[in-house]
Amino acid sequence: MAAAIETINLTKTYKTRGGARVDVVDNLDLHVEEGEIFGFLGPNGAGKTTTIKMLLGIIYPTSGEGFVLGKEIGDMDVHRLISYLPEKPYYYEHMTGMEILRFYASLFGIKDDEKCQRLLEKVNLASDATKTISQYSKGMQQRIGLAQSLLNDPKLLFLDEPTGGLDPIAHIEIRDLILQFREEGKTCFISSHELSDVERICDRVAIINKGRIAAQGPLDELLKGGRIEITANGLEEPFAHSFRDTLPSAIVSFSHGRLILDVPDEIDINPILDAIRDKNGQVASVIPRRKRLEDLFVETISEDDPKRAREDAARKKEESK
Amino acid sequence: MKGNKAKLFGVMAVLLVGAGLLQRTAIYPSWKKNFAPRQQGLSSDLSPDQLLVAMAGFRELIAGILWVRADSFFDTGNYDAILPIIRLVTWLDPKQIDVYSTGMWHIAYNFTDEEQRSDRRYVPPALALGKEGAENNPHTYEMFFETGWLWYHKIDDDHQKAVNWFQQALERKDIDFIAARKNLLSNALQRNGQVREALDFYLKLLADAEKVYEKDPSFGNQQNRDTIENNIDTMLVRMSQRGWFATQLGYRDQGEYDIDPPFDVGFSAQVTVEDPMVLRIRGSWNVQPVGSRIRFILRDSDFPNAVPGGMEWDKTDSVSLDPPKNITYVQDGLFVRNRRFDRKIDMSRDKTMYPCTKPDYVIEFFYNPRSAPPHIQDKFGWNGEGMTDKNFLNTEIRPGSRVIFATLKLTRDQLLRRGEWIDRVPVVQTPNYVPPKRLKDEPRMIAVPSTRAETAGGPNEPAPELAPSK
Amino acid sequence: MRVILSIASTTVGEAIRRRVLLIILLIGVLFLAVAPGLTVLSARQERTVLIGMTLGIIQLTSAVIAIVLTVYMIPNEIERRTIYTILCKPVQRWQFLVGKYLGAVAALGLMMALMTIVLVLVFALQQGVQQMDQLVLLAKAPAMFFVQMSLLAAVAIFFSTFVSPLVNFFLSGGLYLVGSLFNSFFEVISSNPNSPALAKGFATFANTILPNFANYNVQNPIINPGQIIENESIYYVRVTIYGLLYIGILLVGGIVIFDRREV
Repeated sequence: MAAAIETINLTKTYKTRGGARVDVVDNLDLHVEEGEIFGFLGPNGAGKTTTIKMLLGIIYPTSGEGFVLGKEIGDMDVHRLISYLPEKPYYYEHMTGMEILRFYASLFGIKDDEKCQRLLEKVNLASDATKTISQYSKGMQQRIGLAQSLLNDPKLLFLDEPTGGLDPIAHIEIRDLILQFREEGKTCFISSHELSDVERICDRVAIINKGRIAAQGPLDELLKGGRIEITANGLEEPFAHSFRDTLPSAIVSFSHGRLILDVPDEIDINPILDAIRDKNGQVASVIPRRKRLEDLFVETISEDDPKRAREDAARKKEESK
Repeated sequence: MKGNKAKLFGVMAVLLVGAGLLQRTAIYPSWKKNFAPRQQGLSSDLSPDQLLVAMAGFRELIAGILWVRADSFFDTGNYDAILPIIRLVTWLDPKQIDVYSTGMWHIAYNFTDEEQRSDRRYVPPALALGKEGAENNPHTYEMFFETGWLWYHKIDDDHQKAVNWFQQALERKDIDFIAARKNLLSNALQRNGQVREALDFYLKLLADAEKVYEKDPSFGNQQNRDTIENNIDTMLVRMSQRGWFATQLGYRDQGEYDIDPPFDVGFSAQVTVEDPMVLRIRGSWNVQPVGSRIRFILRDSDFPNAVPGGMEWDKTDSVSLDPPKNITYVQDGLFVRNRRFDRKIDMSRDKTMYPCTKPDYVIEFFYNPRSAPPHIQDKFGWNGEGMTDKNFLNTEIRPGSRVIFATLKLTRDQLLRRGEWIDRVPVVQTPNYVPPKRLKDEPRMIAVPSTRAETAGGPNEPAPELAPSK
Repeated sequence: MRVILSIASTTVGEAIRRRVLLIILLIGVLFLAVAPGLTVLSARQERTVLIGMTLGIIQLTSAVIAIVLTVYMIPNEIERRTIYTILCKPVQRWQFLVGKYLGAVAALGLMMALMTIVLVLVFALQQGVQQMDQLVLLAKAPAMFFVQMSLLAAVAIFFSTFVSPLVNFFLSGGLYLVGSLFNSFFEVISSNPNSPALAKGFATFANTILPNFANYNVQNPIINPGQIIENESIYYVRVTIYGLLYIGILLVGGIVIFDRREV
């Protein structure tokens, strides 16, 4: 498969007021395959939006090269084949959903009300087509944004924080739409700092921090190293402690006849379960725990900036409550 | 993109040159001619904020408000406050004819010292305002007429100017609404010595008035026609009595006309500086009927634009409200009563009016029979044919007219009573001056015997004894 | 072209709904409507004052609208990120800028047309409809004002490609004032024999280079009828061409700057 996006040493440097130079994007090498959902992850201010803007040709790289769909960035022809959904965009509030789609269609030279109607149906806004944008909820606005980004049947979609500020149901709707794009063979480039949604649908991710790639690869590979938690009741303490010798990679805890074993997922757990049953223990649960993207994210960033990562993790925890 | 940029700069340069050329060659000249707000004296008279307000629209509104405000100053006599307003209003709204005409009148007649009204430095700017008003309102007769009137009445000299202005006023259609105003051209022509033209003009007016009356036999039109007829009657009588026809037809020497023989006015004068800047002017003028006014001038000996008996009034186009602070020009009329004049001119009160900074001054006495009232002209003729003076008759300074002209000299020290003149009273006089004998008990009544019957009398003859009034 | 028109028409739709503009417009219209009541100044000049004032109201209101409308146009698009959804489409930046400008001019035209209609109505009510031909003459001034305001909008949109709205407001407003006054200053300086050659040269240069808004202040002859203008329509055509040339300069300049602008 050809590369949908390819960047080589892409760099964007801004000068601050004091004259100091800040590399917002620093020698970025990205590789996105056609047809995949690519997660572009990183904390706020990592350079995600700047990278997207460079790829779209809205701002100009300080150095390095970038290619989108095989052409150099900024090429007008590419604009016919791509779409961009900015983070929390504003659409002209006086226009109705239908008018917005007509307007954006006209920018492509498309005059096709039927298509607009189909897209409205696709994003579940058909019944609100005659309402003005000012009457739309945030989720509806995000969906009309998605609809406008699909007007040209893009091969490549840039979605900047597509679920930012949306309620959980809207999250799911957007996520489902993105999955649908993959089925249709579109490439999705999703930038996000909200990990839980993306982790489920991305084929590959790149983690960016302070303008640099911290990790890049298929999700499966990056998420290697999950664990399995086995809980069993009615066991004797000596038996439980014996696992500490037989399974050095396991975390063993025991109290009041309950054993909790936490083992790496590459270990075959059947012999363990057999042993428990042999001792008349009852297996209460076996829970496989994959490594979460969130963990990877925190890990990667903490290598770079431990304090920041801790804060980030604490915040995440707070939010998830 | 680099190449594109150069191209775009090229396009900009071409457009800029095009716009600049259009502006300089085609638009600006036309704008200046047709759309520019009048700006005589703009740089000095209008501050940037006034300009700004003016340019932001509302010119007429602001002009209107200002003029209403000026009205209250008229009531209180605060003339100093009115003048800037006049300048501002006429600049803001050059179509305010009322402001032009009132302003012009005001500057010329009132903006002088309150008591004496002798400072004439304000006449030129008033005239300039009239000129500007006419220029800005060329479609109506009004400012032409008003400016003509200033020449005719206030300046009363160089009468060709009044004639020209009245003629220009007559070219405007709307003067027809006030037909009587047209007659004034005839008077101006007479003052200019163009007696035949004055009559011809009356005859033309009569023909016009008759046509109008035929079309619309209203009372007003009838009256207008009758007035012109009466004027022509009077004029013909005068022309006949003053020997005009006889002169034209060459039999003047065959008969006695009212203007024969020339009457000696016996002019003499004395100027005393009674106090610093206070002049007492006395003298003789042997004309008994009331109505003689002798022009008195005191000016810097090097006064710019001075001519004998006056000045070139329309030398300036600037409506400056600040006449030069260092020049002095005093002009006034000496009214003759009982064959004498005796007038005090007090210039000491208002220092700004009479700066007197120059070392030497000229005093002039000037009398032009062309300005005389008809009953005196009946003796003197239109051009002074019936007037003479042993000492001061002058036929040169006003070509075509016999005038009386005398000069005296005064120094600054004398005028200000400084130096040797602190204790001595300076007196300058014509050589023929003799103090009148009876000043104390002269009669209060003004008698008007005919000058015609009198023979030429000497200047020093005392006034005849007259019966006191009841 | 279709792209430009789309952007322009959307801009019009947005502009005529902007509350601040509508308020300014409302104030202008209100003043126009009550203007006849304010002209108690002098009976003889009543009509003159009324025309002068109403045209002044239209001009002032239009100028404020033209500036307020355009100074926020580009910055708002950037701040609200709408511009990204447009520029990532096959839309060139110059098309965007020109479209926005044309939209602003069209919106301005609509608002000025409304004021002119009110103006004509005021006069029709005041003086009766029989003088309809005079009312048409009256509309000449707003027509020229429209060219003037289009030029002003071009100035503002040019500045909006590189300065903040507030700075732009004063820059454009300042240039409008200078441009309105400069013909007069130039006339004074160039006709005064005492002005130094350097000042004259500078004045000539500035008069050639600056956008001369004064060219469009044609209300005086309309306010004071009877004045004969030579080649009046040729003058109007010329200043309109001048306006178009200058708008061209400003738009091209704006495009050059906007093209490299980081948005």
